[in-house]
Amino acid sequence: MIEFQDVTYVHQNGVRALDGVSLSIGSGETVAIVGENGAGKTTLVKHVTGLLKPATGNVLVDGQNTRETSTAQLSRKVGVAFQNPDHQLFSESVEEEMSFALRNFGFPPPLVEQRVKWGLELFGLEEYRKSSPLVLSGGEKKRLTLACILAWDPEVVILDEPTVGQDSIQKEKLSGTIRMLTSSGKTVVVVSHDIEFLWPMQPRVVVMKAGRVLGDGPAARLMQDRGLLESARVAQPQLVEFYEHLVERPNSPFADPLEARRWVEGRAR
Amino acid sequence: MMWLSSGFVFRRGTSAYHRLDPRVKLLISVLMFATTLLVRSLYELAAVLAFMIAVAAIATVLRRVAKTMVFTATFSLIIFVVNFVVTRNLGTSLLYASRFVAIVVSTSLFFITTSPDELEQVMKTFRLPRDVVFAFVTAVRFIPVMFLDTIQIMDAQKSRGLELEKGNLFRRVRNMIPILIPLVVNSVVRSGELAEAMESRAYGAVPRPTSLVEYKARATDRVVAVAAIVLFAIAAYSFYFVLPARIL
Repeated sequence: MIEFQDVTYVHQNGVRALDGVSLSIGSGETVAIVGENGAGKTTLVKHVTGLLKPATGNVLVDGQNTRETSTAQLSRKVGVAFQNPDHQLFSESVEEEMSFALRNFGFPPPLVEQRVKWGLELFGLEEYRKSSPLVLSGGEKKRLTLACILAWDPEVVILDEPTVGQDSIQKEKLSGTIRMLTSSGKTVVVVSHDIEFLWPMQPRVVVMKAGRVLGDGPAARLMQDRGLLESARVAQPQLVEFYEHLVERPNSPFADPLEARRWVEGRAR
Repeated sequence: MMWLSSGFVFRRGTSAYHRLDPRVKLLISVLMFATTLLVRSLYELAAVLAFMIAVAAIATVLRRVAKTMVFTATFSLIIFVVNFVVTRNLGTSLLYASRFVAIVVSTSLFFITTSPDELEQVMKTFRLPRDVVFAFVTAVRFIPVMFLDTIQIMDAQKSRGLELEKGNLFRRVRNMIPILIPLVVNSVVRSGELAEAMESRAYGAVPRPTSLVEYKARATDRVVAVAAIVLFAIAAYSFYFVLPARIL
C-alpha cells in the first residue's frame, strides 16, 4: 500500500530529516511510528500525502508515485489528522467543518449529510453540530479533526500525535476507533510519543532516530528490546517493565507482558 | 510569504556588518532610503543600487537580497504599468518602478542583519513608549512563527482536498479563506496568551525596567557612521549640483 524506497529529505536549513528510509506498509496494517522529537516521524508521514517530495528515492502510495500525484489526489486515499487541530478548523459550524473535505471531493449532498451525521455520532459531537468549531475544547477539536478525516472514508488513516490533550476516557475511545478502523481493513499509521497508548494495540512498530529507521517489527518484540529503545530515547511501556522485573525472579506468573496486562486489567475490574 | 521570509526575517550572521551597532545599521539604511528619494535619473539610481548590493555583499546576504529584488520586481512591474498608463512617460515609469526596488532593498538590509533584540534597543534609544516598542518588536519576532503556521495550515487543508492553485482568480482568492481564518484565529489566541504570560512575569510592574544589554558605539561604529553621512552628502550634492537632471 505504502512504499518508501531509499527516501532522503533535507530541510531548507540543511537538516537531513530523512536519511535513506526504506519501508513497506501493507494494506490493513496498523503501524506505530515512534522516536524522539526531531527523529523525522512527521516528515515521514508528510511524504505519504505528497506534502513533501523526497530529495532522492521514491514514495509509492497504492502504486502511485507521490512525485507525480498532487496532494489533493492522494488525500482521497490518505487522510491525515495533524497534531494541532487549530491549524485546520475555520468553518462557521462543526457540520460545515466536517463537510469541507467531502465537498472538495465532490460527494453528492445526501451522502455528505449521511457521512457528517455518522462522524458526529462516532465521536460524540452531535450536540455541537451547529456550534463554531473554534469554541470547542482542545480534546473536542482533536476529535473533530479525526471525524473530518474519517468522514470521506480514506483507505489510509494517518494520526499525528492523536492523544495530545486527550483524557484517559477519550484515549480509550480513540484506541477503540483505531481497532475499528483496523478491523474494517483500513491501513492505520499512528505517530506518537505515547507508548502506553500504543502498546496495548500491539501494532507493528517503526522506531526512528535522526531520520533513520532503527527498528521495525511487532510491538511485542521491539518493546522488550531495551538497547533499541534507549538508543532511540523511547520509554518502555510500564507493563513490559513490570513483566521484565517479575521474569527475573523464579516462578514468574506471566508468560509474556500481555498476560501481565490482562492480569492487571482483571485486578482493576 | 517566501518574499517576506527572505527579505525581512533576521538570520544570525557573523559578518562585520552584522556586528555593527544597530543604530549605525539603521542610519545606513535610512540614508540609503533617503538617497533613493533624491535621485533624479536612472543612472543615479543604478549607482545607488550598486552601492546597496556592495553593502549586501559585505554583509554576506547577497543571495537573500537578490531574492528580495526578484520578488519585489512583480510589484515593481505593477508600478511601472500604472505609471506608464497615467503619464505615458517611459523614463519616469522606469524610475518609479526601480525606485521601489531600491527602497525595499534599503529597508530589507536593516531587517535581515538586525536581530529583534537589537531592534528593541534601537527603538529604546529614541525613547519610544515601551508598549509601542514591545508591540513592534514582537510583531517582527513572530513573522517566522506565522510563516511556519501558514505552511502547517496549508498542509492541513491540502490534505483535505483543497487545491490552492486551481481555478480562476475569484476561486483562488476564495480558496485562501481556509488558510486565513485559522491563521488569524491562532494569532489572536497567541497574542492573548502572550499578554497573560508577560503580565504574569511582571510586565509593566515598573515604569523603567532595566536592560540585559546596553549598546555602546565602538570606534569602528563611529567611523562607519561618519563615512555613511559623508557619502550621503556627496551623493546628494552630486545629484543636485553636478550631474544633469535627465531621467535617461
